[in-house]
Amino acid sequence: MIYLDSAATSLLKPAAVERAVLQAMRTMTSPGRGGHAPTMLAAETVYACRETAATLFHMSDASRVVFTMNATHALNIAIRSLVRAGTRVLISGFEHNAVTRPLHALGAEVCVAGRSLFDPEALLREWRAALPEADVAVCTMVSNVFGYVLPIAEIAELCRNAGVKLIVDASQAAGILPVDAGRLQAAFIAMPGHKGLMGPQGTGILLCGEDGDPLIQGGSGSESRLQTMPETLPERLEAGTHNVCGIAGLLEGIRYVSEKGTEGILAHETELLQTAVDCLDGSGFELFTGPEGTQCGVLSLRCPWMDCEELAGRLALRGVCVRAGLHCAPAAHESAGTLETGTLRLSFSPFLSAGELAQGCSVLLEESEKTKRN
Amino acid sequence: MTQYLITFRTLTQAQRAARLLERAGYTVTIRRTPAGLSASGCGYAINLRRGVPEATEMLKRNGLWTGRLFRREQDGEYREVMP
Repeated sequence: MIYLDSAATSLLKPAAVERAVLQAMRTMTSPGRGGHAPTMLAAETVYACRETAATLFHMSDASRVVFTMNATHALNIAIRSLVRAGTRVLISGFEHNAVTRPLHALGAEVCVAGRSLFDPEALLREWRAALPEADVAVCTMVSNVFGYVLPIAEIAELCRNAGVKLIVDASQAAGILPVDAGRLQAAFIAMPGHKGLMGPQGTGILLCGEDGDPLIQGGSGSESRLQTMPETLPERLEAGTHNVCGIAGLLEGIRYVSEKGTEGILAHETELLQTAVDCLDGSGFELFTGPEGTQCGVLSLRCPWMDCEELAGRLALRGVCVRAGLHCAPAAHESAGTLETGTLRLSFSPFLSAGELAQGCSVLLEESEKTKRN
Repeated sequence: MTQYLITFRTLTQAQRAARLLERAGYTVTIRRTPAGLSASGCGYAINLRRGVPEATEMLKRNGLWTGRLFRREQDGEYREVMP
């Protein structure tokens, strides 16, 4: 099998991740639920993961690292903490449904600015013009469909200067690009654990510049006589039993990323992107590529003579795993003019070699050629 | 040796305090707060056996001081004391 769908979930993980998950299942229970060895071991592991994440993301206070089920959960906490009906929210043209659906459900007044693909200068111009009318801003660091790297440091600076609170969706960036919470000074930064951070599914992180409002209420293992959630983070936002096995695996995933360094991971994925482009260029596919520095390890394409889902299905039968369709981001497709067709997306990971990718691209070419001939 | 207990409202606060003191060379253990000492129910505490004034100063400087310090008496009971 050749796995080219790491933008959805990374499949190949460091071996330590799997070992840690199994070890946690055998030895740990739930942090904050007692003083015996299994609960204290769980508490130590969860806290170690907070500290490791805080170091990677330049957070000075590990208690502001909140564990969630996934990035969607984290984004929902962030958005519901800052947005009410009628709140004017500025978003980029490349947001995922994890951002746009909560905004829609809350009745926010949404303004989209920056729809030009691989054009960070245009995005900044449009954001500069739109920010005075915004109460809150939400922006992804990388488009999950196109791998477009948005200029998040500049966006964060614009927001700070305008006094607009910013929520950053780091779903495709965490573990691949540097995420510097200290520099961004965003209200919240949300990310999954199961993509670039190499953790198991069911893990996510919310970096909290602000305290935030609990999305759910329940047991926190402390201050149990109070009928409100604790005031302090992270307990305030972490009701119920933690996914300790997942967090134990995530800890090892973050350690892997920290040791390897995002610079090395990004360089590898950029090389893979070039490999894919070299393999597929001139084949008749429409490749969505950007200037140097505006795209990381994701390549979307369209085959003019074949439906993207059909092509992805054929690749699946040949053991090549890609994703096709709208990738839960219709706004991004609307921006790029691909809403009616969707795209076929290849996405990479540190565990993918250039040789495997080239082999996957060959299969892609073969399968598309078959229908071209027919 | 006299045993002291500093109580915290949440587990993470206790963990932050323990990490801070450990890095400063203290030997610290985290434990559940005795039920009678936790007004709001269920909390965590850290045990300390030495350097209590310096430790509390360090916690204050780092925004982790809760203001609740207990000394274990010979009869096993805890008595709240000033640092």
